[in-house]
Amino acid sequence: MKIDRRSFLSLGMGVAAGTALSPLPWKLIDDISIWTQMWPWTPVPEIGEVNYVNSTCTLCPGGCGITVRKIGDRAVKVEGKEGHPINSGGVCLLGLSGLQNLYGYDRRIKTPLKRIGNRGQGSFQKITWDEAISEVVNKLSEVRSTGQAHAVSCISGSDQGTVAQLLKRFLTAYGSPNFFTMPSMQDSYELALYLTQGIQASVAFDVENSDFVLSFGSGIVEGWGSPVRMFQASSRWREGKGKVVQIEPRLSITAAKSDKWIPIKPGTEAALALGLASVIIKESLYDKEFVENYAFGFENWKDDAGKTQIGFKQFVLEGYGPDKVAKITGIDKSTIISLARSFVRASKPLAIGGRNQGRSTSGRLNEFMAIYALNALVGNINKTGGVWSIPKPGYIKWPKVEMDDVAEKGIKEPRIDAAGSASYPYSQYLLNRVPGILNSGQENPIQVLFVAGANPIYALPNTKAVKEAFDKIPYIVGFSSYLDETAKYADIILPNHVYLERYEDIPTPVGFQKPFIGLAKPVIAPQFETKNLGDTIFLLAKGLGGTIEKAFPWDDYETCLKETLSEKWDSLEENGYWIDSSLKPADWKNAFKTASKKFEFIAAGKAKDIASLFGFSSSTLEGDEASYPLVLIPYDSMRLANGFIGDPPFVMKAVEDTVLKGKDVLIEINPETAKQLGMSEGGFAKLATPVGTAKVRVHLYDGIMPGIIALPRGLGHTAYDKFLGGKGVNFNELIGSVEDPVSGLDATWGIRAKLTKA
Amino acid sequence: MSKLDDKKTDQKGQEDGVRGFIILFFIIGLFASLIVGWMIFPSLLYSKKKQPIDFNHVLHVEAVDQGCESCHYIREDGSFSGVPKLAQCVDCHEEVQGEDPEEAKFVNEYVAEGKEVPWLVYSRQPDCVFFSHVTHTKMAEMDCATCHGAIGESEHSKIYEQNRISGYSRDIWGKNIAGFKKNTWDRMKMDDCSECHVKNHVRQASVQTKKGGCFVCHK
Amino acid sequence: MKEEHKHIKAKKYGMVIDLDKCTGCGACMVACMAENNVPFKEDETDKLLSITWLRIYKLTNGKPFPETDICYLPRPCMHCEGQHGHAPCVSVCPATVTDYDMETGIVSQIYTRCFGCRYCMAACPYHARYFNWWDPVWPEGMEKYLNPNVSPRMRGVVEKCSFCFPRYQVAKDKAMAEGRREVEEHEYQTACTQACPAGAITFGDLNNPKHAVYKLKMSPNAFRLLERLGTNPKVYYISSREWVRRSGDNYLANEVKIKKL
Repeated sequence: MKIDRRSFLSLGMGVAAGTALSPLPWKLIDDISIWTQMWPWTPVPEIGEVNYVNSTCTLCPGGCGITVRKIGDRAVKVEGKEGHPINSGGVCLLGLSGLQNLYGYDRRIKTPLKRIGNRGQGSFQKITWDEAISEVVNKLSEVRSTGQAHAVSCISGSDQGTVAQLLKRFLTAYGSPNFFTMPSMQDSYELALYLTQGIQASVAFDVENSDFVLSFGSGIVEGWGSPVRMFQASSRWREGKGKVVQIEPRLSITAAKSDKWIPIKPGTEAALALGLASVIIKESLYDKEFVENYAFGFENWKDDAGKTQIGFKQFVLEGYGPDKVAKITGIDKSTIISLARSFVRASKPLAIGGRNQGRSTSGRLNEFMAIYALNALVGNINKTGGVWSIPKPGYIKWPKVEMDDVAEKGIKEPRIDAAGSASYPYSQYLLNRVPGILNSGQENPIQVLFVAGANPIYALPNTKAVKEAFDKIPYIVGFSSYLDETAKYADIILPNHVYLERYEDIPTPVGFQKPFIGLAKPVIAPQFETKNLGDTIFLLAKGLGGTIEKAFPWDDYETCLKETLSEKWDSLEENGYWIDSSLKPADWKNAFKTASKKFEFIAAGKAKDIASLFGFSSSTLEGDEASYPLVLIPYDSMRLANGFIGDPPFVMKAVEDTVLKGKDVLIEINPETAKQLGMSEGGFAKLATPVGTAKVRVHLYDGIMPGIIALPRGLGHTAYDKFLGGKGVNFNELIGSVEDPVSGLDATWGIRAKLTKA
Repeated sequence: MSKLDDKKTDQKGQEDGVRGFIILFFIIGLFASLIVGWMIFPSLLYSKKKQPIDFNHVLHVEAVDQGCESCHYIREDGSFSGVPKLAQCVDCHEEVQGEDPEEAKFVNEYVAEGKEVPWLVYSRQPDCVFFSHVTHTKMAEMDCATCHGAIGESEHSKIYEQNRISGYSRDIWGKNIAGFKKNTWDRMKMDDCSECHVKNHVRQASVQTKKGGCFVCHK
Repeated sequence: MKEEHKHIKAKKYGMVIDLDKCTGCGACMVACMAENNVPFKEDETDKLLSITWLRIYKLTNGKPFPETDICYLPRPCMHCEGQHGHAPCVSVCPATVTDYDMETGIVSQIYTRCFGCRYCMAACPYHARYFNWWDPVWPEGMEKYLNPNVSPRMRGVVEKCSFCFPRYQVAKDKAMAEGRREVEEHEYQTACTQACPAGAITFGDLNNPKHAVYKLKMSPNAFRLLERLGTNPKVYYISSREWVRRSGDNYLANEVKIKKL
């Protein structure tokens, strides 16, 4: 008896037959195929009950109502709130990707942090809230005890709303006048409003009812004002309810959407506005009722000293005839004349300014004055479809701060930026002047800097100078929720909740016609050890004690907010917003609070003369033409957030490949100019300005004026996450800060540049 | 001759023996692999998990007045609530009610801690499936038991068996390893859905298959 | 059940996009990504590899400054009907992954069934289909926002716009809970339609005279992309500019008039 090879073969056959007759192979094949269809590492989103939480988006000053879809306790999607007075259901791409800010753990600050590495290096160690508060309190007490209370200053995204006002109140109680906001077109708009009408209020545009919009480079569909509201207005116009004329050197999307695009030499917008005014006046097309009865300074006038001063009429007729303006602006005389005529002939014309999104710079005062004058000439001030002034929401009525001696003394110190002083009597905040002052002085006027809701290191012009100035500040306290450029530069970070985790009031969005408050509500519980900035301020005040503590008599921020909003709270909780729909702008008899009780073209008693208000001078660009033959201008895009919030991954994904390729930004250049420089599509080039240099690629674009090159704002981040950081160039690194000679505000709009093949 | 004959017989006997061995080995192989395939493999293929709490359906069905829908209901938005959340259970089980140690365990470990019970769902379809309860129960007026069986009559939670390769519950993937199906609830794979849909002419609007469209049950 | 089924009229869901209103802002793209769990990578600037169910193209009239004009064109899946539902992609799919549903007019894509041969991508004249070359990775924390109504995809499969079909499923569930079989126009809207801040996108049943799309598609300025291929797409565009309408297909220089099929 022998077990041989054949036996084994037979065993194998038996096994094969048995296996084939068993479910094993067939089941395995089925199971494995299913396994390959659904890898265990492919996430399976958890199911659950759906509910919606209404809130307000705070990612830009647009104030859109949002509703967040939740599944269980997860926030799953941000959508626009139907029937909301600002955005009625629409929402922009930044708002839509809000959850990537909430759940983007790589960009968030999760606990209080203390710097351990060099400034800007981004090395921090985690500390507890107690440690963080006591450290900042100690620092503040120390500075205060040396009589330097006024050397504590704060940069805030805005000065509206309870959180900004609490910061300001903190500084007051502490003893410092040095509160700053980031520059925006509202600064110039509100200043022009004050100079012409004598009131401190918000400027609003009744765009929905206007039938002819003359836009001096405003990116109507690129984020100007309250973006979604402007999109909806634009669609109304496209339905035939209005016309848009866009004036700018580049065929922006707004220009492409407009009924007429008039390319202009950049920086000469003010001259064009005055030229249009001169045509309107010369042809006697202006609104006589308004100009004759409710305006002052149109004709020549006598000042208090009895001296005859030139009025607006003579000023523009003499200085800004269409021939001259045609030469300055590069626009045909006939185009200027016909534009002026069609503007006046429209039943509800409206002129607007503030280039691009109007959020990066304050702009030249003369431009805003000239645009305001155009509106006055057609008598659309406070009229349907016109430009309105509406009171700022006055719901914050806290008791006056009780100040101790140190605070009394500190608050009387002059502001670092000289805003409100004899040199800049009507400007409130001149943050743009601060880096220059810090960099040129021996003394250090800022000992402690708070930064909240702002990213000045990224967003102020001339990044290098801003960093240099920040280097001189011994102690920087950041309150950001994200590890942005400025947070990275801070010595200590006391992180705020992300907007979807906190309560906050959002006052009237830019340019909206009705007094409005939006409420941001916690959609989900805070994910990390962060605190509402309001509560952090209270803790700091408590730590400092005395009158500072007394200035904040609330248990927590939520209580403070409820008390402050008092009777409006219920409506806010229920609808997510409060609106005073009944408000009508004041009629001409009562609107103007100037000395003459009229709309003043010449700001009598406030401005030196009319030329200082309106006078156009073309020599405002840094750099000489011989070394820098081109002019570099920025452009804004909805797809590139360029303020306090950086693009989340979804928005970066939407960036066109003619804007960003790999890590390189593409600069827009006219094919003709590119040909002269020997450049072709996609080629690398070195971009140099008097301020900085950058490596870029070239995108040939027929829509840009020859000799002009354009870079998008919003790229070139050095912080955030890998999806945003290290891509492209920050426009602010290439541009110097330009100060408006009258207002002192930031008036940067472009710079001379050179492009060489690389 | 005889020697030769003997030799022959010997050879023959040997050959017979060898053939016997061959058959024997074949049979051994056959039966061994049949045992492996039919008995050992199935028991290895599925992992067996106990529910965190042994749930008594009978007791609960007695205590409520709307049958299954008292706890497993269709929400206002038409979605199905599935296994109740802690919040629902707490309505009755804030404190320990009876003497069942499982209930005490539930109250102490989950209710007191505010922790959701990690129930294992026997009939959970994979992520690519969209199953609409409301369509079947409300519009087609089907009973819960038609698909789920008499689960309401169970006094103990059965063992949850999960396919180690595909990750599916055995209730979905097929109770019988050979694929025989006696009851609706023995298996609920795509063909099982499709079978009923074809029979009842449910949205037979596919261009490719002339049967049910994919975007009926898939998402 | 059979009888009940017959009461449901076949629908033909489609879209009309007003290019005069569209500003190319990108909200539709992001709304789509957020709704449909579309993944993202560190570098998304190679648009051939960038999964965008809905992509916005920039058209230009090709004229030099200052005659230049541009127009943005959002491109979802066209959900081609072809002839009797034989969309280009449906005809070539060897695995019944993609299918045309005569009841909704939606071209479906079942990811778990797809084995990545990409015939459909080759067949699609609109570049509406994308292949997952990599497994999607959500950075830490971001998996929390994933929408359970849309199954996340895996490496090796093709994906595309579904006209937010899961929203139809959800809307239908709600209708049924209320005892209705039909879904109202406003109850089923795609994420891009809902989000568009300019109100440029209209979505609905092209067969239903009560739906807004029904009238809009008959506008003299309405056109479809590559109509002459016979794909019979269900996405219509409206533009008052002739050069934009001409960009919708390949016309010979001497072809003056756009012919309607």
